[in-house]
Amino acid sequence: MPEIHVQNLVKQFGDQRALDDVTFKVEEGELFTLLGPSGCGKSTTLMSIAGFQNPEAGRIAVGDDTFFDATGKVAVPAERRNLGIVFQSYAVWPHMTVFDNLAFPLKVRKLKRAAIRTRVLEVLELVEMTPYEKRYPHQLSGGQQQRVALARALVYSPSVLLLDEPFSNLDAKLRERARAWVKELQRTLGLTTIFVTHDQDEALSMSDRVAVMSAGEVQQIGTPEEIYRHPTNRFVAEFVGRVNLIEGHVSGSAGGGVVVDVADSPHQLTVHDGAGASGNVTVAVRPEAVTVMRLDDRSLNGTNTWEADVTTVAFLGDHYEYEVNAGPLALTVQSSRRVEGDRIRVHIPPDACAVVE
Amino acid sequence: MTTSSYEQPFPRPRRSLIPAWALQWGTWLLVCTLIVGPFIPLFYASVRDRPLYEKGGVLTLQPYRDLFGDSAFWHAWGNTLVFAGLTTLMAVAGGALVAILCTRTDLAGRSWFGRLILLPILLPSLGMVLGWLVVWGPGGYLTQTFHDRFHLPTIAIDTIPGMALVEASRLLPIAFLTCQAALSRADSSLEDAARSAGAKPDRVLFNITIPMLRPALLNAGTLIFTLSIAALGIPLLLGTSNNIVFVSSYLYNTWTNASTPDPGSVSAGAVMMLLVATLLLLLRNKLLGAEARFVSVGGKSGRQALLRLRAWRWPLAAILAFYLVGTTLVPVVGLATMSFVVVLTPLVPPWELATWDHWRVLWEDDAFRRSIENSAIIAVVGAVLTTAFVALATLVAHRSGFRFRGTLPFLMLYPRATPGIIIGIGFFWAYLLTGAFGDFMRGSIWGIMLAFCVRNLPLAYIVMYPTLARIGEELDRAGRAAGAGWWRTSRTIVLPLLKPAIFASFILLFVEIINDYDPAVFLVKPGTEVMGATMLAQFIQGLVGPVSALALVQVVITVVVLAVGAKVFKLGVAGGEHSA
Repeated sequence: MPEIHVQNLVKQFGDQRALDDVTFKVEEGELFTLLGPSGCGKSTTLMSIAGFQNPEAGRIAVGDDTFFDATGKVAVPAERRNLGIVFQSYAVWPHMTVFDNLAFPLKVRKLKRAAIRTRVLEVLELVEMTPYEKRYPHQLSGGQQQRVALARALVYSPSVLLLDEPFSNLDAKLRERARAWVKELQRTLGLTTIFVTHDQDEALSMSDRVAVMSAGEVQQIGTPEEIYRHPTNRFVAEFVGRVNLIEGHVSGSAGGGVVVDVADSPHQLTVHDGAGASGNVTVAVRPEAVTVMRLDDRSLNGTNTWEADVTTVAFLGDHYEYEVNAGPLALTVQSSRRVEGDRIRVHIPPDACAVVE
Repeated sequence: MTTSSYEQPFPRPRRSLIPAWALQWGTWLLVCTLIVGPFIPLFYASVRDRPLYEKGGVLTLQPYRDLFGDSAFWHAWGNTLVFAGLTTLMAVAGGALVAILCTRTDLAGRSWFGRLILLPILLPSLGMVLGWLVVWGPGGYLTQTFHDRFHLPTIAIDTIPGMALVEASRLLPIAFLTCQAALSRADSSLEDAARSAGAKPDRVLFNITIPMLRPALLNAGTLIFTLSIAALGIPLLLGTSNNIVFVSSYLYNTWTNASTPDPGSVSAGAVMMLLVATLLLLLRNKLLGAEARFVSVGGKSGRQALLRLRAWRWPLAAILAFYLVGTTLVPVVGLATMSFVVVLTPLVPPWELATWDHWRVLWEDDAFRRSIENSAIIAVVGAVLTTAFVALATLVAHRSGFRFRGTLPFLMLYPRATPGIIIGIGFFWAYLLTGAFGDFMRGSIWGIMLAFCVRNLPLAYIVMYPTLARIGEELDRAGRAAGAGWWRTSRTIVLPLLKPAIFASFILLFVEIINDYDPAVFLVKPGTEVMGATMLAQFIQGLVGPVSALALVQVVITVVVLAVGAKVFKLGVAGGEHSA
C-alpha cells in the first residue's frame, strides 16, 4: 500500500476557485479524512485523485505512479489508476446481481472464470454478504448495498481506497455500526484510504489524520485530537465541535504561553498556547473543557477562575449545558455535574485554550 | 481471510482495442456531417446562377433577387404566418385546457382522455389531412350531409382558419404534453400554501396554477409555430382549390413546375425558411432556459386537491369526447369508408357503391405496392440505425469527456426545427455532389431513408436524454474506477440501463419514419417510392380512393405498432416525450 501525494492542486469553476493550492500527503495504511462543509472542495479533490476531474495545476501521485501532473501534461484516465472508490450513492449497478457487480472489475482484468468466482466469494465473505450473492441491488437494504459497494471497490486489491461520504445515506443507528466496521476493515487490511465527509463526528472517530477544508483551501491537517484541541484558526475551531471564542489583547507571557486581557472585561485569561503572540487575539475554549462549581467551592482558585451568572441550564441526557455570563463574557459550558445556584464559579484550564487568531 | 490473501496482485486492466477518443470523434464528425452537411450544398445552390451539376456556374445573388421580386412568395409568407399564428393559438389554448382538465380536475374519464388526446400527433399527418378532406372538405361527406339535410354550415377547412384548425388538432398534443409535464413537476405545496391561506380550489387554479404554466405555454407555442410553418400536406391538399399558397407549397410548386429544372430560387427560399426556423429554435432554447428557472423542484405531485367540476364533470367530458371523435375518429372512419366505395356521397348509401377496386390497386399497381414495401423496409432499418446511432451520440454528449460534446445536444435537436421539405432539398443537392456515393443513394431507397433518419433523429434524442439524465453518473464512474474504459462502461453499464428508452425510441422512430413524407418529395424516383410521397403524388393525380386505402394502411400500421410497443415494452406514453 503506497502513500498518496497531492501537491498544489488548483481548480477553477467559472469565477469560483474550487481548489486553491491544495497539498497533503497520505501515509501508507493511513485513514486520511477530508472534512469540510459542502462546496469546500473536498469532493473535487477526491474526484481529481480518482481521475474524474482534472485540475488546472498541481500534481497527484500514488507511490511512484504519477496520475496527474499539469506541468508534465500527465493525466492517467480513471480506469487505469487502479483505485477503489465507494460513492455516496453506492453506485451498485442495478441491472447486475451482487456477484456480477463484484465480478465486473475482474472480468475487465481478464481473469479466468474460476479465479473470478473464488475471489468474489472471498471478498463477499470479508464483507459478510455471502448469502446475498444472487440478489439484485433493489433487493438489498441501504447498509447491504454499501457493503456490496465496498466489496466491489476492494475485489481487485486497489492500491488505495477512496470513500466519498459513504455513510450519509444510512440512518443514524446503522451509520455508527458501519463506521466502526469500515474502520476495522481498513485497519485489518492496512488500506491507504482517503475519506470525504462533512460530518465532524465521523471524521474524528474514524480518522488517523484529518484535513479540514474550507473555500478550496486546506485549513489545518492533524490528528483528530490536534484538530479538536488545538485548532489553528477560527474556522477549524468553529467547524469541528462547539467552541467559545474569547477575544482579547495579549498583555504578557506566562509559562510558554500568553496572558490575555479579555475584551470589555476585567478578567485576565492565562493561556498555555500562542507563545510569541501579540496584539489582539481570539482564544478558543471547548464548552466541555470549562469546569463549573458552586460559588462556595474553593477547590480551584486563582488562575482563570471567575464568578458567573447562570442564564439557562439545559439537561441533555448525558450532560448539562449551561449558558453563563462571567461579567460581560458569555460562555457555553458542558458538564456532567449539576451545580445549583444562579451564581456559580467557572474555571478555564490554561492548557484547554487555543489561540486561533 | 487474512491480510496477506487480500493483497493479491491483479493484472492491470488492458487498454481497449478501439480507443474512446476515436469513437467519440467519429460519432461527432458523423453527427456534423449528417446534420450540417446537407445545408452546405443547399446554401451553395442558392448563390449560383445554375444548378450545381452544371459546369461553369458563377456566384450570384440572382436567385434571391428572383425570389424576393416575386410577389407570390411574399403573399405565401403572409399566408404561412397567419396560418401558423392561428394554429399556435388554437393548439396552445386547447392543449393547456385539456392538460388542466386532465391533471387538476375531477373530469370524468380524465386518465383515458389524457392518453387518447395524444393520438393525433402519432397518426400519419398526411393521411389524417386526407381524412379531414374526405369528411369535412368542401365536397366531403359530412359537409354535404349538414348542408343538404339540415341546411347547416360547417367549418370550411379549405380556408386559412380551417386549415389552421386541422393543423392545430394535430399539434395540440404537444401543448398538452408540455403543460401536463409542467403541472406534474410543479411543487404542489405552492398550491397547498394558497389553500391554507384561504383560497378556494378554483381561485388556486386561476391565480397559482395557470400563471405557473406560462413558460410551458411559451415553449410549446414556439415549437408549434415552428412546426406549422413547415406544413406541406395541408396547403397542397386543402389550399389548392382556393389557391391558398404557403411558403412550403410555393417552393414545392416552383420546383415541380419550373421551366428550367432545379431553379436556384427554390434553394434561396429554402435557405430563408431555414433561417427563420433556426431563429425560432434559438428563441426556444432561450425560453427553455427561462422555464428551468420557473421549475420548482422537489415537489411531490399527485396529492393535490382536485378542482371539483360538479355539474360540469360530465358535460365537459362529453365536449372533449365530441372533439376527439370529430377530429380523430371521424377522419379515420372517413378514410376507411372512402377506401371501400367508388364515391363517398350522402346521396347514395355507401354499401351500394362498395368496391374492392381501390385495395386492388394497392396490390396491383407497382408504385403503390412498392411504396408499402419500401416504407416498411426504410422504417425498420432506419429506426434501428437511428436509435443505435443516437444512443451512442447521446452518451458522447452527456457521458464523456469529449471536447466538443457541448455542441451535440443543439446539433441533434436542430433537424426538429427544420422543415422536412428543406431537408429533402438539402439531401438532393448533397447526393448530387458526392459522386458514386450520391448516385447510389439517389438511385436507392437508402437515400430517402437517410433523409428520414436525420429528420426524425431529434425524437430519439428527446426520448433517450431524460432517461439517461436519471441514470446516476456515479454508476458509470464506478465502472471506470473498476478499470473499464469509456466504451466498455457505456456498453455494459449505461446502455443496458437505457434499454427502456432505447425501445421507446425505436417504436417512436418506426412510426414517425413510416409516416414521414415531406423530405422525400424531391428524392423519390420510380422504384424508390414511399407511402407518403406516393399519396401526395397520386392525390394530385386525382386517385383519391387508392390514396385513402394507402392512408388507412399507414393508420393501421401506426396504431398496431404503438399498441404492441406499449404492451410489450410497457411504454407509458409512447409519444410522451414528443413535447421536449
